[in-house]
Amino acid sequence: MLQIDGTAAFTILFAVFLILGFYGRYWRKGDLSKLDEWALGGRRFGAFIVWFLVGADLYTAYTFIAIPSSVFSIGAIYFFAVPYVAVTFGIAMWAMPKLWKVSKKEGHVTGADFVRKHFNSRSLAILVALVGIVAELPYIALQIVGMLSVMFVMLYGLGSIKLVSDLALILSFVILAIFTYFSGLRGATLTAIFKDAIILFTVALVIIVAVVNIGFTKSFQSLPVKYYHLLPLQVNAYWSLFLMSALALYLYPHAITGSLSAKDPKSLRISQSLLPLYGVGLALLALFGILAYGSSSTHAFLIQIPAASRGTYVVPALIFYTLPSWLTGVAFLGIFIGGLVPASIMAISQSNLLTRNIIKEIKPNLTSKGESLVAKVGTIIFLFIALGFVFLFPLSYSVQLQLLGGILILQTLPSVFLGLITNKLNKYGLMTGLIVGIGYGLYLMEVANHFKPWTTTLITMPPFNYPLFIGFIALLANLVVVLIISLIALPFSKKNTVTEN
Amino acid sequence: MMSSNSANVNKSKGLIIVISAILTIIPFFALIDIPFYNRTNPELGGLPFFYWYQILWLFVAAALFATAGIIYNRYGGE
Repeated sequence: MLQIDGTAAFTILFAVFLILGFYGRYWRKGDLSKLDEWALGGRRFGAFIVWFLVGADLYTAYTFIAIPSSVFSIGAIYFFAVPYVAVTFGIAMWAMPKLWKVSKKEGHVTGADFVRKHFNSRSLAILVALVGIVAELPYIALQIVGMLSVMFVMLYGLGSIKLVSDLALILSFVILAIFTYFSGLRGATLTAIFKDAIILFTVALVIIVAVVNIGFTKSFQSLPVKYYHLLPLQVNAYWSLFLMSALALYLYPHAITGSLSAKDPKSLRISQSLLPLYGVGLALLALFGILAYGSSSTHAFLIQIPAASRGTYVVPALIFYTLPSWLTGVAFLGIFIGGLVPASIMAISQSNLLTRNIIKEIKPNLTSKGESLVAKVGTIIFLFIALGFVFLFPLSYSVQLQLLGGILILQTLPSVFLGLITNKLNKYGLMTGLIVGIGYGLYLMEVANHFKPWTTTLITMPPFNYPLFIGFIALLANLVVVLIISLIALPFSKKNTVTEN
Repeated sequence: MMSSNSANVNKSKGLIIVISAILTIIPFFALIDIPFYNRTNPELGGLPFFYWYQILWLFVAAALFATAGIIYNRYGGE
């Protein structure tokens, strides 16, 4: 259990954080009746702030908890997050400024807005919005896992492991729901910078202390080969995981919102191009999964916990046993809000899609009062559904939550990214492809996990005789359907594509 | 005169696009060639090559992407 000075450091910083969050409602307040103002901060953020904003999407529980947990439990293959963040910005620096320009010209706020206009299809836009909403759910669930893991280590010793983990989950969820309901996107943005400052500081500190005190040589000593590098069979899984994750990141509604808030395409491009540097922290955190083996006190703590959830506590436990108590409190706060802030940004972007691209399509005469009510209530409902996703995978495999979100959101790639490049694709083809991709992806999840509780997103199936990420196979199926239907429809549909430029 | 001038502009814009594209694609090749870096040695402070090679590429990728972005922003248009 965390000592009194650690608890004090955590509590004081959390109070500062809450003040920032609630003050954020009044920060840079523009005409909030315009959605541009509310959702995109008036499109006036420069390269530096966008760098922070989009970078903040990276430092989530995915980085702190899920990746280190998987490296700890499974090995080097989960280091794929590093090449993922190295290449994703190479794609984003060209795609996002293009989306920015179209969006500015035509007043889009979401990816679904763009799809609706570009393919002149309300149904396709609603479908893309729905997939965006659903794909965020497991990603939010992952953030809840991150919050509860810190709470667990803080409260550890209060009672039985079962009691403490239930208590940690309830506390985390209640704080998340209240924070999201009262603070809104501006609050979340302001606190994102606070959160990253704390995180960068603690990651640097812990890595130095851990490397000096423990060292890699000692940590690797007792580990099997799969921790040193990939096994030959994992090579294809590795590229399919990192390339697909790289393509998926910018399809998530919250990442699109962050990019569109830039003040011009040039500063957006520069901020994206420098974001791989943000990934250094991610890489170091992933290595915590190895260093945990070298710290005997951390290891002794972890083996008391059942293997299915052990990995989740790697980073909090390593911090707890390497840093003095008050610094542990600071670091824990960083990880805790590292789950809280992204979860609330994601929930807000979901409700944004719900009101703007779904409810308003069905009920166009909704008053602005009704709109904000739908948005707020929607956010809370989404958080509750996300809570259900927490139990989908054993906690040690929480990275699979993000990969499941990836399988889903990847299926909007033809509509959004290919839509930016060409207008030759047929909207019915895109709709069919999207539905096929999602159906097939979920079916393969069941097959890969033998219709039992999910622990993997990789599958070995003909014609491939090695494991591959299901998102890749589902996207292939989706693309094949889109191309075939578009080719058949091409001669008939010259008239109904919107020609631009 | 006019036409050769604008042809030159088009040509140099094409060149800028090609250079930016090459700079952007280099990290993809460096990281997709997994068999090359899927090894333990040489280690760096006890850290296998597999890990530190990829961390190194975070820095190199940022440098290459930023160079591509600056060149393109300055000479290639928006």
